[in-house]
Amino acid sequence: MPREESSKATRRSTRSSSSVTVENAEPNESHQPTVDDLTFGDESITVDAVLSNFPGRRSQILDLIRLVGPLDCPTLPLMIYGSASTGKTSVVLQVLRHLSRPFVYSSCRTCYSPRILFESILNQLFLHRKCSSNGYSSAKRCDKPSDFVNLLREALGNVIESLESGSETSRPDKSDGKPMGKMVYLIFDNVDLIRDWDKGSMILQFLFSLYDVLKMPQLGIILISGLPPDVYYSNMGYTDPLPLYFPEYSEEDLRQIFLRNQVNRKLYSAFLDVVLKPFCRVTRRVEELSTTFSSLFRKYCEPLDDLGISPNEDMKRRLYSHLKPLIAPCLNEIFRVSSHPHDGVTRGERRQKASYGSENREELETLDFHMSTSAKYLLIAAFLASRNPATLDASMFDSTGGMDNRKRKRKASEKSMEKKEMAEQEAVMKGPGSFPLERLLAIFQCIASVGDSSFGEEEEEEDEDPTGYDKENNNLMSDILLQVSSLCDAHFLIKSGSCPLEGSIRYRSMVSEDLALKAARSLSFPLAKYLYRR
Amino acid sequence: MAPSGNVADPPPTSTIDSFNSGDTAENDIRPFFVLHKASSGSSLHGKPTGNVKSKRRIESPNPKIAKRSEVESVEEGDSQFFSTTRLKVFDTVWSKIEKTIEDVLRYSNSKVFSGIHDWIRESFESIVSSGALRLSEAVRSYPVLTQASSKQLLTAMVLTRNLEMVDDLLTFEELELHLKSQGCHVAKLSSMDFSAKSGVGGCLRVLLRQFVMPTVDVVDVTILASWYRENQNHENPVVIIVDDTERCCGSVLSDLILILSEWAVKVPIFLVMGVSTAHDAPRKILSVNALQRLCASSFTLSSPAERMDAVLEAVFLRPCSGFTVSHKVALFMRSYFLCQDGTLTSFVRTLKIACLQHFSLEPLSIMLEHFCQDGINQLSDEGNGLLTEATMKHAFHLPSVTRNKITRSTFEMLPQFLSDLQRMPNPWSVVVLCIYEVGKFDKLRLLDIFCETLDPEARYLKYFSPSATVNFQSHDSGRSSVIRRVLHKLRDLSPSQLSTLLKSWENLTADFSEMNDKVMELHPFMRSVEAVGQRQGLPNSPKKHASRSHSKHEKELKAMTDKVAAVIEFMLREYMKPVESVPFQEIVCFKNVDMLQSALLGDPRGRIQSDLLESHNILHCVCCSKRGTNLLPSMHDTSILYTLAQEHADVINLHDWYQSFKTILIPRSSKAKPKSKSSSKSKKRKDMCEEPEAPTETLIQARFCRAVMELQIAGLIRMPSKRRPDFVQRVAFGS
Repeated sequence: MPREESSKATRRSTRSSSSVTVENAEPNESHQPTVDDLTFGDESITVDAVLSNFPGRRSQILDLIRLVGPLDCPTLPLMIYGSASTGKTSVVLQVLRHLSRPFVYSSCRTCYSPRILFESILNQLFLHRKCSSNGYSSAKRCDKPSDFVNLLREALGNVIESLESGSETSRPDKSDGKPMGKMVYLIFDNVDLIRDWDKGSMILQFLFSLYDVLKMPQLGIILISGLPPDVYYSNMGYTDPLPLYFPEYSEEDLRQIFLRNQVNRKLYSAFLDVVLKPFCRVTRRVEELSTTFSSLFRKYCEPLDDLGISPNEDMKRRLYSHLKPLIAPCLNEIFRVSSHPHDGVTRGERRQKASYGSENREELETLDFHMSTSAKYLLIAAFLASRNPATLDASMFDSTGGMDNRKRKRKASEKSMEKKEMAEQEAVMKGPGSFPLERLLAIFQCIASVGDSSFGEEEEEEDEDPTGYDKENNNLMSDILLQVSSLCDAHFLIKSGSCPLEGSIRYRSMVSEDLALKAARSLSFPLAKYLYRR
Repeated sequence: MAPSGNVADPPPTSTIDSFNSGDTAENDIRPFFVLHKASSGSSLHGKPTGNVKSKRRIESPNPKIAKRSEVESVEEGDSQFFSTTRLKVFDTVWSKIEKTIEDVLRYSNSKVFSGIHDWIRESFESIVSSGALRLSEAVRSYPVLTQASSKQLLTAMVLTRNLEMVDDLLTFEELELHLKSQGCHVAKLSSMDFSAKSGVGGCLRVLLRQFVMPTVDVVDVTILASWYRENQNHENPVVIIVDDTERCCGSVLSDLILILSEWAVKVPIFLVMGVSTAHDAPRKILSVNALQRLCASSFTLSSPAERMDAVLEAVFLRPCSGFTVSHKVALFMRSYFLCQDGTLTSFVRTLKIACLQHFSLEPLSIMLEHFCQDGINQLSDEGNGLLTEATMKHAFHLPSVTRNKITRSTFEMLPQFLSDLQRMPNPWSVVVLCIYEVGKFDKLRLLDIFCETLDPEARYLKYFSPSATVNFQSHDSGRSSVIRRVLHKLRDLSPSQLSTLLKSWENLTADFSEMNDKVMELHPFMRSVEAVGQRQGLPNSPKKHASRSHSKHEKELKAMTDKVAAVIEFMLREYMKPVESVPFQEIVCFKNVDMLQSALLGDPRGRIQSDLLESHNILHCVCCSKRGTNLLPSMHDTSILYTLAQEHADVINLHDWYQSFKTILIPRSSKAKPKSKSSSKSKKRKDMCEEPEAPTETLIQARFCRAVMELQIAGLIRMPSKRRPDFVQRVAFGS
């Protein structure tokens, strides 16, 4: 922003000589943090700049400025809430930058335990920086909230003292990056995460009552949360923080946000016309949309030679038809994996692969990772054990074959059919069933012997050596428990809660039917024959 | 309890049994051999064991073992010398094989590794060029306010394509070394570090320990940020390798990703995640928020089967150590690889066991040392030095020698035979590689080809008989024969594939003039086929215009493939001499598949059962060895109980079991004897187990309980349930 550049230049020239230099141009080992570092660091910006930076956040920004209040005016704790990626943190930081107020920021994401949270705040207030010379240790060790209150009072006293002395010497110049006023703001980001901590509710109550406990008018507290304030309040006798809600962006806001830093606004606007509407229905989180849009825009621009042109209607239509097939799959995608050109495959091979498109599709039908034969059988056995009711095992794996039994069962009255439908829906809700290890091993042995006999016949044809077949059969059976554990590791099986009566561990198969079918196909095992369909 | 009992009878060294402490009958209960030191190596080495108690009972030396060793050591002095040399030669041979395998694996990974490094470098340059942060900016706690996409964490997903992780542990270690050598800051985390118990703090601690310093009081990502800004650390990217993503605790990994992504602008972190199943595996374990922060690219390692082929080629078909395996052993190794484990690690282990067993069984295996060294001339001089009279005798009694009717009179030819054996690449391996070249077009595995071509009876030759060629379409079941599939595929090849095939054949057969000549003869035909193909123009040109030339082209191609097939048939017929049909092959070839199998598949449960039933084989005590089928009270309690259990079905009535146990411990003759106090008697009973006095009822009960407990620990029975309190259930049947 040109405005910032110019202000930076003026600031350098008019800096007062009494204060320590705030920023060195290059990183310096001996750089000591000062009170000045408690501000945003960069020069302050005007209200207009803040407003233009955050389209659709005008009322929230003005509210926030009003709530923070004029210089040196005590404020009640604030709670800023709204769903993810609605600009809460950025707005708070930019408003404080605009006001040039000193603040201390700590995110409960980075500070994942009370101790780290407390020490991080104290480190910033004591102007302490972790480095190799102090062994990356904190300024003060602080575990308990009570210690924190004492240390915080001490640290705040120091800071406010130096702020007062600083404000006396320096001129009240708005465009300077120096701290304004004698107030310090504590910002707690991601407060909702505290709820998951060990003794989280206690820490939360402590944070909410911190203002009342400290009784220091020079302290402002700003809590940023992804959840509404109702989830925290519990009438414990402290002043409830003033709430400020950040709603989700509207479609028009999003358009403004995405158009902000674009080189060719017309082209991007045409692009947004196409994509914004469908994607807004899925998500309005700027973070998510921006990653998706950046890759889609690259695709959108592919047919263009010159990115500077402003597209006419005809071209827009052409670009849209180019992009259209890509939008739908992107809508459902959360996680994209791009294959890298350096992927161990030389150029020539890649081209060859591309030319055999149909072959690739065939490959999709097979497993794309390696599993030993016994692991595959075990996977299928687990899948069957989870899908089929245990009572049917005997008929399914009977040597006479369970097919006749099943057909007899098919002939049923209307009422029982209805009952079955209900049961089917219930089964869908319940998910895969659990089974004990014994049942898994029994099914495994049945299906492995079926599969093996077909395999063995061919062996014999080739070998005329029945002993070889026997050996292979033995092979398949040993070390099965090892395979079970490796399937568990790969999350194909999960050990579920043990049955309270029996005391033995039960397993549950987590594989999709697709994967089980793939595994069965690679063994040429007739899985469909063994699946019980209601 | 008398204190003297303790003095006279030191507690067993091998077992510390808390179950029994404080019991009055402590000294009466014999040490527990079954689970712990079943054999303690005595049967293997013929040495008395270190166990105090067992020593007393064992009559050493065992006559059986002595007999066997006598047979073995016909030449006492020589065998001593040879056994040490054999061990030494084994070390050299195996180190050579191991090194070869390592090289092959390293080569197979090198492309992917450099790909990952290039990706890291490129991304890092683009991050750096987008603007450097100042120190105060980089270590402060609040986020740098730039675009929202800056929270993305660059991630490389390395697909290992194997369910088992064992093979890839080494791979990721090497990746770490590779990236470190290129200047990146690398830390490697494993699934152990992502436990739900220690939470995100645990994995951050491991991370900082590897980057910053070993002892950090409170772990916090700000430390990483401060460290990154010191000592020019910021000139290189930070790479974090997680080698087995699927096994990690999902919530902890998600937390780590979220934290790191908040700091991604200040510390450019690259995440390398090893994924063993599919691309979407992270989707199953990570939270949505964490998934959105990942900007992933995938890299694929070579599959285990591909690596297997590369190893096989390097070890058996290219000049390596000279050691090789027979058809049966190869089949076993193949089925072990495919059915059992599927990891290269276990294959290498199998190979090592085979190699070790070969050296322990075959006296002449020392000659492999000369195979390892390259000079052929050495063999004739030095090799003969090793050939003492005894070994010569052994050599000429080898089955392969007697079968080929080679006698001592042809002694002078021995060096000739040996150098034939040693010659690598030999015609056989060249032909196998030629077949593999064809098989590559059909995605055949070298493992299958290797196994089939090792067949000493050369059954694959029957596919060349006219009847087979006529109707092999009909009963081509796809999986049956590899060679048949190769021949089939040969006729489907396009001209361009044929010409590449010929070129590779030409290279492979360069050392063997006869084969090379045959291959060279094909070239003119190939040229004419190509010429016709070019004249015809593009293969996808409209058929109408090209139909005439097309048919001509087809005809030429057909003739060409016939000729190629004739060449490969010629090769198979003339040069396919599997190693097992060569005289003196026992020197280099390992054949004993049964030993290999028993070494690999331990079958521990069966072993426990058979040992319990025949405990006298291990204990070697005097009384039991002549007992025949009836049970003696001097036998081990657990062994008695288990033998008794054989009479029952899947449930055993405890009372019956106890009664029969009691009748064995108290022989009928001794029943009338007056009962004395247990402490003095029990000590006595131990000293002379031939004439035990009847133990008291309580003692029997205690021994019974203990034996049942031992059986339960061994996993042979299950304790009584609430429903049927009088019955124990047998879990294991048969041995």
